Amino acid sequence: MASEVNTSFLKDRRLDRIATDILRPVGVDRGFYIWMASLGTLLLVCLYAYFIQLDKGLIVTGLRDYVSWGMYISNFVFFVATSLVGMLISSVLGMMGYKWIKPIGRIAEIIAVAFSAVAGLVIVSDMGRPERLPYVFMYGRIQSPILWDVTVVTTYMTLSILLYILTMIPDMAISRGRIGHAPTWLQKTYEFLSFNFKHTPEQYKILLKAVRILLILIVPTAFAIHTVTSWLFAVTTRPGWDSTIFGPYFLSGAFVAGSAAVIILMFFVRNNYKLNRYITLEHFDKMGKLLFLVSIVYFYFNLNEYLVPAYKMKTFEARHLTELFVGEFAFMFWSVQLLGLIIPMILLLFKPMRKPMPMLLIAIVVLIASWFKRLLIVVPTMESPFLPKQHVPDAWMVYHPTIVETAITIGTITLAVMIISVLMKLFPVIPIWEVAEEESAHPDQQPVE
Amino acid sequence: MDRKASMISRFILIAFLGLSSATLCAQTPWEVPADRNIKLSQTEFADQNRNTGKDLYMTNCKSCHGEPGKNNAIRLVPQPPDPATVQLQQNSDGALQFKISEGRGPMPSFKNILSSADIWNIIAFVRSYNKDYKQQIAVRPTFGGEVFDKVSIQLSQEQGKTSVVAMVTGERGGLKKPLAGLEVKLFVRCYFGNLIVDKPIDTDANGKVNFNVPNNLPGDPTGKVALFAQLSNEELFGLVKTEAVMTIGIPTSKPPLNEPRALWNVVQKTPLWLLFTYIICVLAVWGLIFVVLFKLKTIFELGKAVRVDD
Repeated sequence: MASEVNTSFLKDRRLDRIATDILRPVGVDRGFYIWMASLGTLLLVCLYAYFIQLDKGLIVTGLRDYVSWGMYISNFVFFVATSLVGMLISSVLGMMGYKWIKPIGRIAEIIAVAFSAVAGLVIVSDMGRPERLPYVFMYGRIQSPILWDVTVVTTYMTLSILLYILTMIPDMAISRGRIGHAPTWLQKTYEFLSFNFKHTPEQYKILLKAVRILLILIVPTAFAIHTVTSWLFAVTTRPGWDSTIFGPYFLSGAFVAGSAAVIILMFFVRNNYKLNRYITLEHFDKMGKLLFLVSIVYFYFNLNEYLVPAYKMKTFEARHLTELFVGEFAFMFWSVQLLGLIIPMILLLFKPMRKPMPMLLIAIVVLIASWFKRLLIVVPTMESPFLPKQHVPDAWMVYHPTIVETAITIGTITLAVMIISVLMKLFPVIPIWEVAEEESAHPDQQPVE
Repeated sequence: MDRKASMISRFILIAFLGLSSATLCAQTPWEVPADRNIKLSQTEFADQNRNTGKDLYMTNCKSCHGEPGKNNAIRLVPQPPDPATVQLQQNSDGALQFKISEGRGPMPSFKNILSSADIWNIIAFVRSYNKDYKQQIAVRPTFGGEVFDKVSIQLSQEQGKTSVVAMVTGERGGLKKPLAGLEVKLFVRCYFGNLIVDKPIDTDANGKVNFNVPNNLPGDPTGKVALFAQLSNEELFGLVKTEAVMTIGIPTSKPPLNEPRALWNVVQKTPLWLLFTYIICVLAVWGLIFVVLFKLKTIFELGKAVRVDD
């Protein structure tokens, strides 16, 4: 992000066209109501499942003494991972001066806000006694990574929300008088969120400074959130978790999941909102290259994470790795590694594969695989404890997620999709002012739609 | 392969390997000396004995032998027998008492852990799983025809601090008499179980025993050590035992693990480096968040003054 804004774009007539294009889908319509009502119904069903869990306790899940972290914690790691893309795109690429990320920066922010907000709830879903959540703050130990995790998740969520709101302030001001088609309450919300922004150079200067602070702050916080999440595992001595590279391994995996999520939303925005003038083929091409880059880094960490212990085959690691490579989890493991990492990497090398449609399919598979990848990190280790499993019911030996558990997990995903839907439908999904400024500065460039 | 089947096959393999290596050990029968084999309890097994025995069994024996009659003993080679089986019940009372006391291979010796009376209580409990069992009761042996109201041990410390003297006296009608030829054991109380000091020694003609205490015995910060002495033979006078605390150890001052600031301690005892790192990070980040919020307020205030048509 530049340190100064050339406010001449406000006088440029291109602004009108850009604002009209981007604000056209904003508002509530029939389709949105139906979409939200369906999601709401699904969420209600899942809430009923949560009510059952609240009433009966965690016994309604497949979690038992050996596998006490199952789908819920895997889901938590997935949510935290996906939310990190906000940092990657807006902060890292943005501050490095890449202009092409401007139209998709807000999409990444929306994902960051939705996924980090729901991540906290996912943790609560794993608690048998959620009313004891305040105990974490009342009696928590600073020595415990759990407390660090609670701290950084809250901080990252706050930073993401602030970054989303602050970068939207000029858009809220631009939209004044341009969203007559939207309901009054939405117009009032826009008025409120514009914070009296009048596009004065002084206001821009302060705004840019504030945004810059956030962008810088969000980098270490995002690193912290996922590194600490990885430490929840890595500070134990258990096979599969006892690893020194777990922090970067989780981070690189997070960027894969997040980039895939951004690509899916980009496709949606381009096609459903008809914004292909702003989210162009070039953006898909660039995102494809980015996904390839983060995938190859993640592949490198996977190679280290599995090959090094597999070369040594220490007693307990060997049992765990055998389960993954040829045992009970082999099908899931190889599907995830091939479909979620290796095949997409190869495909993305070819330019035709970086077109919107192939990219959408690749991104969906990658995102699903990255959910299962988290399950593969959590469950197999818990199923191979150091001491032999004996004198326990058969149900304790192997983890089988129950319907209630699955429903609650689907509920959290539904909730994230609902937050994303609201943010994407009710607010401009592409930063009007940044795009307008860019076009005004380079009037000769024509986008390749 | 199906997970369960693969587990079973692996299990069979391990069991087979284990068996072949343990065959020698399993083949030699557990010889019980003839005099021990015919030993009997002096008291009749009553409900009270069986109940105490049950508690003791559950604490000391269940982890390997399982719950009697439920066939859930741990799978080891040799296999610890379920107490309800013929294999175990065919032992005489004396043989059971010997095996529990002495132990062999993976079966630990309990003679320094449980009193003789408690071992008999466990046997009482175990016998309750045998319908055909008829208890025979031993005749209480006497000490050279003498009978005492009370037999006791007095522990005293020798001047040089290197030995502890135990004196055994019998009392009858107010008259005290030193008892010779009785084996006495001296123990130190430790965190886990008791540590025998020196070796079991018979009393001399004056009823005294002199135990040599090792000069590197760790004591509390003032060198105090908790000791107790007891007669090895519990059949003559029942359990005769005396406890004492003596300053015979090396003063050892090891603070408990929950004393210093450490990662495993409570939050009030967080290591300082961690406390400061955490607080500084949280304050720095949240401080900057408030700076941003303040800037937001400034933007809002500035906007009030300006009137611009967009």
